[in-house]
This record gives sequence, structure tokens and C-alpha cells, in this order.
Amino acid sequence: MWTYLRRRILQSALPLIAVVLGVFVLARLTGDPSKLYLPLNATDQMREDFAARNGFDKPIWEQMGDYFLGVLRLDFGESLRTGEPAAEMALRAFPATLQLAAVTMVLAIIVAVVLGSWASLKPNGIADRIVSFFSMTAASVPDFWIAILGIWIFAITLGWLPTSGTSGPLVWILPIATLMLRPVGVLAQVVRGSMVTVLGQPYIKVARSRGAGEMHIVTKHALRNAAAPALTVAGDLAVGLVNGAVVVESIFGWPGIGKLMIDSILQRDFAVLQAAVLITALAIFALNIIIDLGYALLDPRVRPTAGTRARRRGPGAISDTKAEALTNV
Amino acid sequence: MSDDNASTVTVLTQKARKTRGTGRANLWQLLLKDKVATAAAIVLAFIILTAIIGPTLFGDLAQRQDLGARNMPPFSMHLGWEYILGSDSLGRSLLARIIAAGGTTLGVAGAAVLVSAVVGSIWGMWAGFHRGWREAVSMRIADVIMSFPSLLLAVVILYVFNPSAANIVLVLAITRIPLYLRTARAEAAELRSRMFVDAATNFGAKQGAIVFRHIVPNVLPTLVTLATLEFCYVMLAESSLSFLGIGIQPPDVSWGLMVAQGRQYLAEAWWQSVLPGLAIVITTVAANVLAAWLRLATDPGQRWRLQTKKRRRLIGSVVPQR
Amino acid sequence: MKLSSPRRTASRASAVAAGIASIALLASCSVANSESQGGGEGGTDETLRVVLTQEPPTLEACDANLTSTGVVVRSTVTEPLVERNPSTGDLEPLLATEWEQTGDNEWTFAIREGVTFQDGTPFDAEAAAYSIDRAVNGDLGCNVEGYIFGDDDLEVEATDATTLTVTTPNPDPILPLKLSFIEIVSPETSNTEFVREPVGTGPYAIGEWQAGTKLTLDRNDDYWGDAPEFSSVEYQWRSEGTVRAAMITSGEADIALGLSAEDGIGDLGVSYPNNETIALRFSGQTAPLDDIRIRQAINYAIDREGIVSSLYPDGDKVAAQLIPEGIVGFNADLEPWPFDVEKAKSLVEEAKADGVPVDTQIIMPVRTAQFPKVSELGEVLREQLAAIGLNVELRMVDTTQHLQYQLSPFVTNEGPIAMLVQHGNQAGDAQFTVEQYMLTGGAQAEFGDPGLDELINTARTLTGEERQAAYEEAFAFERENVVALAPIAHQTVMLGLADRVTYEPNSSTGDELRIKEVSLAG
Repeated sequence: MWTYLRRRILQSALPLIAVVLGVFVLARLTGDPSKLYLPLNATDQMREDFAARNGFDKPIWEQMGDYFLGVLRLDFGESLRTGEPAAEMALRAFPATLQLAAVTMVLAIIVAVVLGSWASLKPNGIADRIVSFFSMTAASVPDFWIAILGIWIFAITLGWLPTSGTSGPLVWILPIATLMLRPVGVLAQVVRGSMVTVLGQPYIKVARSRGAGEMHIVTKHALRNAAAPALTVAGDLAVGLVNGAVVVESIFGWPGIGKLMIDSILQRDFAVLQAAVLITALAIFALNIIIDLGYALLDPRVRPTAGTRARRRGPGAISDTKAEALTNV
Repeated sequence: MSDDNASTVTVLTQKARKTRGTGRANLWQLLLKDKVATAAAIVLAFIILTAIIGPTLFGDLAQRQDLGARNMPPFSMHLGWEYILGSDSLGRSLLARIIAAGGTTLGVAGAAVLVSAVVGSIWGMWAGFHRGWREAVSMRIADVIMSFPSLLLAVVILYVFNPSAANIVLVLAITRIPLYLRTARAEAAELRSRMFVDAATNFGAKQGAIVFRHIVPNVLPTLVTLATLEFCYVMLAESSLSFLGIGIQPPDVSWGLMVAQGRQYLAEAWWQSVLPGLAIVITTVAANVLAAWLRLATDPGQRWRLQTKKRRRLIGSVVPQR
Repeated sequence: MKLSSPRRTASRASAVAAGIASIALLASCSVANSESQGGGEGGTDETLRVVLTQEPPTLEACDANLTSTGVVVRSTVTEPLVERNPSTGDLEPLLATEWEQTGDNEWTFAIREGVTFQDGTPFDAEAAAYSIDRAVNGDLGCNVEGYIFGDDDLEVEATDATTLTVTTPNPDPILPLKLSFIEIVSPETSNTEFVREPVGTGPYAIGEWQAGTKLTLDRNDDYWGDAPEFSSVEYQWRSEGTVRAAMITSGEADIALGLSAEDGIGDLGVSYPNNETIALRFSGQTAPLDDIRIRQAINYAIDREGIVSSLYPDGDKVAAQLIPEGIVGFNADLEPWPFDVEKAKSLVEEAKADGVPVDTQIIMPVRTAQFPKVSELGEVLREQLAAIGLNVELRMVDTTQHLQYQLSPFVTNEGPIAMLVQHGNQAGDAQFTVEQYMLTGGAQAEFGDPGLDELINTARTLTGEERQAAYEEAFAFERENVVALAPIAHQTVMLGLADRVTYEPNSSTGDELRIKEVSLAG
């Protein structure tokens, strides 16, 4: 397994560099930040000084070289806006998003598994229709709309919850509820579909005829085998959460990496943007590796050898590509 | 297996033989069998139709401002029939704006899905068919795109080019390509290793022919299902970008932009935000229902679910293995 | 076939238990990047809670003219020598007790005694000289330097512990007003680097700044003036107006800045004029905007009353010039352009007949979210200009892009530009506005006029009544002969105020929220 791990890490290094380089170049295409940071009457001399201080007057290859040399020294540059080290700002903001995403995913998985399994017991029955309708609606609402409605209803009108911020346990509820909707919607459908297929397998019928209880069948046999495609989808959703929590973070004042990223984009704070993208990309690559390993743990038949996802297939479960087809990342 | 199930299988096979005409007739019959899916298809068709002809009919009405009729609630017909859904903050008919915005939203989503699906699928099938370094490089490129912050891409494209719906399509298309890439590649790779491809190669069929006649038809159902689901996601993504101020810009209008702009007026004119939001939800739910049906209808191994009568669909029936 | 295996049961159960435990753990922990309030407040004194629109990027005192910094720092953490009273326009003594012009280019200030900085260093004329030198003469590139002083350097000298002389390169009758922008910081402050958390003489010192989450100021027990009322001040920030308003109505905050009527603040909202004016600024060197008739036509085509009464009914006033009442140089006799669509059309026709290319697309850059309903305003303006036969494209852009159009060097390769600008005159004197927007070569002036330049250059050196008259003449001249701008409205903004505090907002509240003017109700 360690060879596999090592190989995956090495394989991820190149894309990581490519992402950072891409951000580096693209960010500098958005124009000259000097007008934003210099006073109104800045003279040309001041502009030149500003450019020289931040290396903007050098050709882009040189700037890139300087940046990577700095990265090797663990120096990620400083924020144009606040003067703080960019790495510090990114590392401070990231755990907040991670907490949000982790709790959301765990809750979403639990709720989706329960709902999906319940619906799959009687396909096209009442439970199935209710769950399907709810999950499709949940996956279709714009998150910022729900967030604002949520604040309006629960914080302003009813006064049950705080509007925003980060103090106290209650502040978690609205952001997580908002973020959770789409993952629950998508995952519930995947789990349901997968479970329906698995529950139609011959060995389930055998288990039933041997007198095993329904709950026992569902949890011991069906879930285990239906888990594989759900895991793929859950993994992609988790990645999407890390990237996509920016709207929720903006509205609720959650000091996470998404908010940092959009702010640094709009303010042309290149160093902070690069640091934020770097740390997010690192997390995504790490998450992908963990998911692949988790897959292997789940199904001993699928030990990672070549490591390509196409190989991962449990018996009777929806094929992996079909599972990806159901992903809505 | 009980005799009951054996006879079911026989009935199924016979039925399949009887209804086997052109594949298309089969599909329509299946659709009509499922009431919910039919309803979803009708709703979606209606919305798409409105989106196509609506803007030409209602485009001017959507732009006509009337500062004296601002923030009128729905059913304010005393001002004219066009105010049946109320008016926005500049006195424009909300009905007209929703219709015109639908054209933009569906156009952007449709175009983005089309571009990303075509580019991603072709690329993925090519990579999956050839394997080797082509596959590895393509997968790494997909990783890069997936980890790239789409927000930055949106801002850059907005800045470097002029803001327009076409550029939003570009942003959304680029960020969704990896999904089709990975799916198509995986399917193509798996199919390629199947025997019928070997057989075809042995018979001397050219690579191109193999791809077109064998790989594409098998991959298509998955991709179509994926595209339908992606449609919903792209609509939501566009509305998020508009919310952040880096998507569709005024004076263009889209459902997402209307929801974003209307959020300032939730307290006194909730319909400006809620109604376009409802339009988004209805469209995506209809598309989702249709996608769920498509998923079953295009997979020969699952189609029986739609063909048998309801009580036969319980678990415990034999599932013909794929 | 075994139906179950104890090991699998155990592993499954433990997985679930681990999942639940981890959720509980994560939820009970505080959010990363924000620590919970420590319990060491002591006493019965209250904490004032303020919610801003954005986090201050820095609290560096020499950037205090940036509103996002100044709103926290000015007159609260640090103090200037003299302070402008926004209602009367007069300068009031703060760290300087008296001042007078002692020469053509020289002013002398009497420095207050018995003041110490929050770090214990005593305040004297040397310290004042140090701060002024640091902000204006140094190489830091302070924002206040460019905004107020331009290229001029000041010569400062502490003739003794309580006397400071300031010499300007040219006669400057409003030097004390300019010095009201320089916040005095402790001489221990580095003058080679920006300092994010300055040490000043103000009633509240910087306590703790949890970047991203909360900024806390603590009472300065050694403050020289009236004892500060609150034991601490907490600043938070939310980008959504509805959320800021909600924090007031739900009791989570005492003061909320930057609200508008639709945010649902209800009775707890207080509307007041800030000193911002919105206008369209023309690129007068590009056809067709180089023809004064087109610029006049645009002015006639804008229905200012209609815009104000429908979009901004809470007190905005139609504007005739770029500065509102109360600023030195305001011309009260100037009437706003009348709304006359027919006249506008005929002017355009006339110009067209003379060969002016009136069909050229004019670009109207408008900054997203610059102020409430800015995009609606953009759409209204576009409609009104299209109605008189002009070809206008509305372009919503973000702040950085907008600044490319706004500040020199300007955008010259995109054709004629009529951009929406928002100008706030914080200083209280027309010089700052006029020299930015109307003087040839001003940082925000796309074109100029020699006649106007002469008037402006004369006005700068005058004082009192003469100064007022001279600037009035400049505005009238601009209106008649130059038409570089189409002023639209003087703006108001809304503050959310909880019942438990009393505060009277004024035009400079958004630039500097003086906590010493806030008190507990009752």
C-alpha cells in the first residue's frame, strides 16, 4: 500500500504545480492592482515603487521563478491588502471551512443513507416517492436563496437561531443545514438506486428465506455492497463542498477559505489567492487519495493495484461510471 | 427460483420480442407508462418552448421601466395584465422578466452542457480507447481543472473579455468538462476490453469504425443521463456566480441574477426573489425526474422496471443480469 | 453461509460511534479561526457591539482616510491634532489646543499637555512631529499622503515640548484642516514599515484582533479626556445588509453601518446624509462626448427627481454640484439641471446635423455593489440616455476594473466613457473635490479647461469669505462652460441603532465612527 501511496502523491505533484501556475498567470491577467492599493494622487514614481516592491515589473517567468523559490523556503508572499504573510491567512481560514465541510458531509451521509435505504425497501411505494421528491427538490435549490430564507425565517421572524457569526453552538445550524441540502438530495438518490439493485440480488433472497430480519439484511449485506458508488459520489460532493462553500461563508460571515478566496480575487491580492488555492488543491488531492484508500478498505477485492477508478466495482452494485453519472458535483 | 419468477422471465422475453420495433417507439411507450416522468417531460418541454419563443415576444416588455409601478405585488392587474406576477424594483413586469430570463438561463445552461458534454465525451472516449499515456495525461489534466477555482476563472474571463452570456458559458463549460472526461474514459476503457471489440478488431474493422459503431452507442446513455443532471447543476452554478457579482451582469437578466438581486427586497417584495427561485426549482426537479427515468430507460438491464406492471417491481423478482 | 460475524458487527458499531463522537466533538469545539470570548471582563461595564460592512484590511493610522480603516481608528484608537466637527464644519481642538498662521507658509500649534500614549510613552510636540513626518514625508506611501497632500512635503519642528511649527512649500490656508487627517501615533511606531495595530492616544486601545472574525478594543483607563463609557468595543463584519439589519433586530449588535430601507431594519433605522454625491463623469476628449451639446443633453435627459423619489426616497437630494451643503465652497444658488427630454433630443439632433457621431457606443461603467440599488440606477440611466437617441452600453464591473476607468491614467482605447462615480468629500472643503475632478491633470479629471483652472488655482490661496466665493464661481463656471460631469444626487445612508444605545449620526459617521459620541440609552 505504501508504494501505491507514494505513487499517488508523486502523481498529484504535477497537477498541483500546474494549478498554482495556472492561478499565478490568470490572476495577473486581471489587471494592475496598483490603483486599488495606492492613494488617489499617486505619482508615477509611487506606482513604479509599488511595482518594484511587489515584483510586478519583472517578466512573468521571473516572477514565477521567484515565487517558487520562495515557496521552497516556505515563504508564500504577503497580502497586498493587509501586509500579513499570505500562508498565515490561508492556514487560518482553512480549518474553518474544513470543520464546516466535515460536519456537513458526515451528517449528510447519515441522513442520506437512512432516507435512501428506507426508500429502497419498497421501490415506487409511498416512502420512495416522498424521499425521491424531497431529495430532488433539495438538490435543486440555489444555496444562497435558502441561506437568506433561512435567516429570514429562523433568525429574524422566529428568533430561534442567531443570524450569523461564529460564537456559540447554535451558529452551526443554519450554515450546515444550507450546505447539507444538496449532498443529501444527491446522495439519497444514489443510495436508493444502489440499494434497490443490491436488494434485488439472489443472495438477498436467500438470506430472507433463511429467516434473517429486514434490518439485519439491510445493514449487514445491502449497505456494505451499495456503499461503493455512494462513496464515490460522497467523495466528489465533499470536494465540491470545500470549493463551493464560498457563498454560505459569505452570507454567514464564516471566516473560511472560500470567503478568503473570493475576497482576494476581487481585491487582486495575488499572494493570498495563490496560497488559498494551493492549500485547497492540496486538500482535494489528499481527499481523493483517502477516498481511493477507503474504497479498498471497504471491498477487499478491490485492493489498489493500478489505482484507476474504473477497476473498482463491487458485485451487483451500480457500476462506478454510472455512479459518477449520478454525481452532481 | 420459483416457477412464478421463471414464468415472469418468459413473459418478459416474449413481451420484449413483441414490442421490439424501432428503439424510438419503445422509448415513447415507456415514457407514457410512467405518469410522473410524462408530467416532468411535459413541464420541461413547456419551459423550453417558452424559453425559445418567449424572449422575442416579451423581450421589450421585460426592459420597460415604470418607476411609478415599483415593487407591485402579484395580481396587480389594475395596472395591466402583464403585472400578474407583480413588478420588480424598476416597475418592470415580473412575468416578462422571468420569461426573458428563462431564455438566458436555459440558453446558458444548455450551451454550457452541450459544449462540455461534446468536448469532454469525445476527449474521454479517445483517452479511454487508447489507454496508455494519453489516458494518464488526460486524467491529470482533469484533476487540474477540477481543483482549479472556478471563481477565479469567472473573474478573469469577465475581466479580459467583455461581460456577456457567452463568456459565462465558457467558464461553466470548462469547469464541467472533467466530469464527462472521466465518465466517458471509464466507460470507453471498460468497453474496449470487452470481447466484441476484440472480435471487431479481428475482423479488420478500423479503429474509427469501432469507436463509432460500438463504443459510442454504449456510452451514450450514461452521458445523456449525466448531461441532464448536469443541466441542473449548471443552472445553480450560474445563479451562484450571479449572486457573487461575477456571472450574468445587468442589463442582461437570468433567473439566478433575479434571485440574487431580489434578495435585498425579501422583507417588502419577496416575490422578486421567490418566483424566479421557484422557476429554477421547478425546472431542475423536472429535469431530475426525467433523468431518473432516462437512467432506467436507457439501461437495458434496468428497463424491465418500467415495463412490468407495478406489483412485479417488488424486490425479490429476478433481475436479468447485465 | 454466515449471516453475521461478530467482528463485522463490532467494526460497524464502532464506526457509527466514531462518527457520532466526532460530530459532537467538532460541534462542541469552537469554530476554527475564531476563539470564544474570554471570561475576564469583570465589572458591570458594557460592551458596545458594532457590525461593519467589511473587515478593516489594516488599522495602520496613516491609511486612516480609507473608510474601512478610518471607521475604527479615527478619533477612537488614535487622535489627530485637530478634529473637524461634521455638523458645523469648524475645527475643534483635540491634541492641539490652539493654532494660528504665523507666517505665509507657517502655522504654529500649541500641544496639549498631560497626554500619554496607550503604551505609556508621553505625548509631546516631538511625538506629533514624528507622526506627521512619518505620514507625509516618509517613503511608506501612506494613503493619506496621496489623498491630502499630493507631492508636497511638510517641514515640522518641535520648537519646545508644547509647540509645533509646520511649514508648507506654498501658502496653505487650510493646513489645520489637512492635519485633521493625520492620526498621531506613538513615536515607538516603526517609520519604515506599515503597522497593522497602531498605538495612539484615543479612548480605546486595540485589544485583540481575531483576523476574519472579530476586532476588540479595550477601554483606555489613562485617557486624557472624558472617561470612556464602554469597557470594550467589539467590531464584526457581514457583507449582507439583511444580515446586518437582522443582527440589530435580534439584539446581536448595537450599531450596524451601511443599511438601506429594504434590509428590514424598521424603526431601528436612522437615515442621515453622508457626504457622498453620485454623478456621471464624461471622457470629454472622445467623440461624441467631446461636444458640449451632448454632455448638456445627457444632463437634461436624467430625471433626477424621479430617480430620487423612486429609488432613494429616504432623504437623498437632487444634486447640482459634486459637493453637498455644509462643505466650504458649496454654491447654494446653483439649480439642478431641469429634466427636459425634448431639449435633450434637440441638442442631440443639432449635434448630429453638425456631423458629430452620436451613434458611437458610449460605455457606462458602474461598480457592482458600490451602494444600494446601484445596478438599478445604472439601468435607469441607460434607459434615459437611450431615450434621447444615444447608444449607451451599461457595464457592471468590480472595484478594481472600475478604478481603471476612474483614476488616471485613464482608459482611452474603448471609446467614449460616461462612468458613474461616487465622490465623498470627507475634508469639508471644496479644494479636495475640485482639484481631483475638475483641475486639468487631477487624478480623476479626464479633461480640463484653462478658464476653470485659473479660477481653481486662485481659490486655493484664499481664505474665509473670499474662498467661499471663489469656489462658488468655479462651480458655476464648470456648469456653464465645461460640463465635465452630470451630478445626480447627494446620498443618504442608514444606520441601525439598537434601543439600548444613543447616537446621533452625522455626515462623517461612515468615515469615522467616534465611539466617544455613543452612549447607553437612559
